Amino acid sequence: MSAETGSLVPSFVVFHVGKRRVALSRDCVAELIASPILFSFPHTTPLITGVVLRRGRIVPVLDLGPGLLGAPSPHARFFLVVERHISNSSERCAIPVQGECELVAGIMLPPMGQEEFVTGCLNLNEEQIDVLDLEKAIAASASVEEESIPAAEALS
Amino acid sequence: MTQPDSSNLTPRDARPREQVAVFSVAQYSFVISAASVQEIRSTDSLGGTVVELDHPVLQKVRHIVERDSRSYYVVSGYEHFHLPPTRPTTVLILRTAPVAILVDRIEEMAEMRVLLALPQSFRGEERAWYRGLTVLDRKVLPVANPLGFLTAGELQRLEEQNPGLLQAAAVRHERERV
Repeated sequence: MSAETGSLVPSFVVFHVGKRRVALSRDCVAELIASPILFSFPHTTPLITGVVLRRGRIVPVLDLGPGLLGAPSPHARFFLVVERHISNSSERCAIPVQGECELVAGIMLPPMGQEEFVTGCLNLNEEQIDVLDLEKAIAASASVEEESIPAAEALS
Repeated sequence: MTQPDSSNLTPRDARPREQVAVFSVAQYSFVISAASVQEIRSTDSLGGTVVELDHPVLQKVRHIVERDSRSYYVVSGYEHFHLPPTRPTTVLILRTAPVAILVDRIEEMAEMRVLLALPQSFRGEERAWYRGLTVLDRKVLPVANPLGFLTAGELQRLEEQNPGLLQAAAVRHERERV
């Protein structure tokens, strides 16, 4: 990622979840990490695929695929570390992303579609990129995954 | 006892240490404080009397085992953690609760130097299952909460549906000893 600092134009990090290209405000993105070791253990929280150890901290990994793609996202080599705000405290989480991430500056336009977790869109070289509300995207993905669990159990 | 750290490893030699047992269920490894385990037995050499519950209100608890004047609810490890069925070979008899846990095997005894809080993003049953997370041999492992295998509510339900069974088992054992 490269940064344009000091600009009054807001910055966004553009990344892929599966084949979908989306963006987050740069303010909520901490770093991009490559090929961390993913540790998993039993739990019942939707979306969490495991945890990674980053600079002595436990960082949960949340897959946004169910909400954005309708299915878990493919295997990822890169994880975007973002800052969540939960119960008046903040916590870093990692989102598996596919391919490259890009730091861009631009004016956010009103959303084009109906998805509740999209707060606006960016026009990048004639391509419309949805800008996500992180917490709403997590909530939407969690609800999709929760709905899919009974169906999966019924089929098993 | 090791106090939870706010998900942050602090490299100090003065960090508290805790003896733990590492056990496995299915493909997963877990840590439990050695102080909370009274006894570790193989399922073949458990001894005592196994009594089937009249009303198994919880899928993970179908029996009690009577040993040395005490009785314990037998909790299936794989069912507790919602894992695929396994063939448990080991029983962990807890000191702090009337609970015996069926696990696949004991991997090792170790020393835990840090206990990290479970991140807030975890919001399911695991908040009761685990005291937190630790790092052993560069692996992140969950630290089982001995009081999480059967919550107070679950113990109450078992007792309500099988009234006096634990006490009756203990009394029966005492009579047999006399």
